[in-house]
Amino acid sequence: MNDESFSETFLNERVQVVAVFGGGYHPCRPVRFRRASGREITVTELGLRHPQANGQRMLHIFDVTDGGADYRLEFDAERLTWHLTMEADHYE
Amino acid sequence: MNSHYNNERSLIMHIDLNSCFATVEQQARPMLRGKPVAIVNRRTEHTAIVTASYEAKAFGVKVGMKLRDARLLVPDIIALESDPAKYRYVYHRLLAIMQDYSAHVTMKSIDEGVIDFHNTTADIAGRDLVEIGHEIKQRLKDEIGVWMRCNVGISTNRFLAKTAAGLHKPDGLDEINHQNLREVYKSLKLTDLTGIAAHNAARLNAVGIYTPLEFLDADPVTLRRIVFKSIVGEQWHQRLRGWEVDDRSSDVKRVGRQYVLDRFDLSFDDILKRLHHLSETVGSRMRGQGKAARGIYVYVRTLERRYWHASFMSSTSFYTDKTIFMLARQLFVHAPKGIREIGIHCYELQSITRSQVSIFEDSIVREQHITSTIDSINTRYGERTIHSADTLGTGIYVRTKIPFGSTRYL
Repeated sequence: MNDESFSETFLNERVQVVAVFGGGYHPCRPVRFRRASGREITVTELGLRHPQANGQRMLHIFDVTDGGADYRLEFDAERLTWHLTMEADHYE
Repeated sequence: MNSHYNNERSLIMHIDLNSCFATVEQQARPMLRGKPVAIVNRRTEHTAIVTASYEAKAFGVKVGMKLRDARLLVPDIIALESDPAKYRYVYHRLLAIMQDYSAHVTMKSIDEGVIDFHNTTADIAGRDLVEIGHEIKQRLKDEIGVWMRCNVGISTNRFLAKTAAGLHKPDGLDEINHQNLREVYKSLKLTDLTGIAAHNAARLNAVGIYTPLEFLDADPVTLRRIVFKSIVGEQWHQRLRGWEVDDRSSDVKRVGRQYVLDRFDLSFDDILKRLHHLSETVGSRMRGQGKAARGIYVYVRTLERRYWHASFMSSTSFYTDKTIFMLARQLFVHAPKGIREIGIHCYELQSITRSQVSIFEDSIVREQHITSTIDSINTRYGERTIHSADTLGTGIYVRTKIPFGSTRYL
């Protein structure tokens, strides 16, 4: 939905993602992803990662930002695929 | 009954996430931080605000306010639809952190819980609770995210711990004990006390009690016989002094769901489809708790704010979606016109093993098998993978939202 204060676009776009698997409280962190258009986005902050079960199929939702817009990446733990499902710009 | 203030060590901690859903959204989406945000269940102008961020609250936006009215106060308020999966995750993270300190943790709702430090390990018991409170605040930031904040209240009972948690929002940490009890009450209004809303305040006003301090000093006999006319009066006398009277859990008494219609010009058949959808959700939740019901209750709120309800008590218990909807529909045919909101509750719950046995056993057993098979498929492939054809088009409207005040389905 778009209104005067921000725009939010819902997508189902397959993306290529570079992620780091490490330790700590956030063991998987997407650091960069390439959209279908070829545009590359560098993640500057992982906002929140939460799991979302769809039956016994598990998705991991990563809310991230590149400092200019917020993005939602979904990792399908069964199919090992990444999708970009939301992009939001917040205007001043 | 204790007439003095409880001077034991404070061992109850109340933790309350600040503007929970809005804060979680600001955590998830960094570009929203520092901006006025409102969380709504549906993004229409008529929808009510479920949670507002502190930036929005600073302009006077309140929970329950219509989004349309909030826009008059803050034209650039950002309205987001609630995202239950996110909040459930944060709830479980908070619960896990709290359980690291005691086996006696009770979540009061999706955004607040209580840690009882009585009977905890010697290591934990030897620590200062204020220090533990600060540690929990830091762990929220480390384990969930830097924007997360919570209020912490410490006292000798649940009531005062919750009161303490509300003293310095956001991100406060306070203790109320026998030494500062009077001072804290002096700074509050009667209606600031949890459990004292307009109705109870009026009862207290009627006997000349206008402030928490006057309430504290009131005679227990007056509270019991004149104000509350029951043991509740004595419980208030104890509660206000820091003695525990609220340490009790309640069994599931009913399972229900309500829904404000997506449009107010729907035909009766379309409303029935939404009622069918609610019946399926209620059935699924009830079976998830291993319960069957004997009672069913449906209600309607009209556009003129009239309330209508009907109920039925069955001699045998039931739990299948088909039976729940059949009974609900029979009651619903008498509903008034001009419907704004519908709701359904199942009550008189009992264990599912004793249910639905009657002379029509064959057909009932068949219905139970079908229900059990559908539940298995939905558990494997996701909620509402199989549902009645009648509700094919209702899923986009009647989505599950966050149940406030209950942590049963989280």
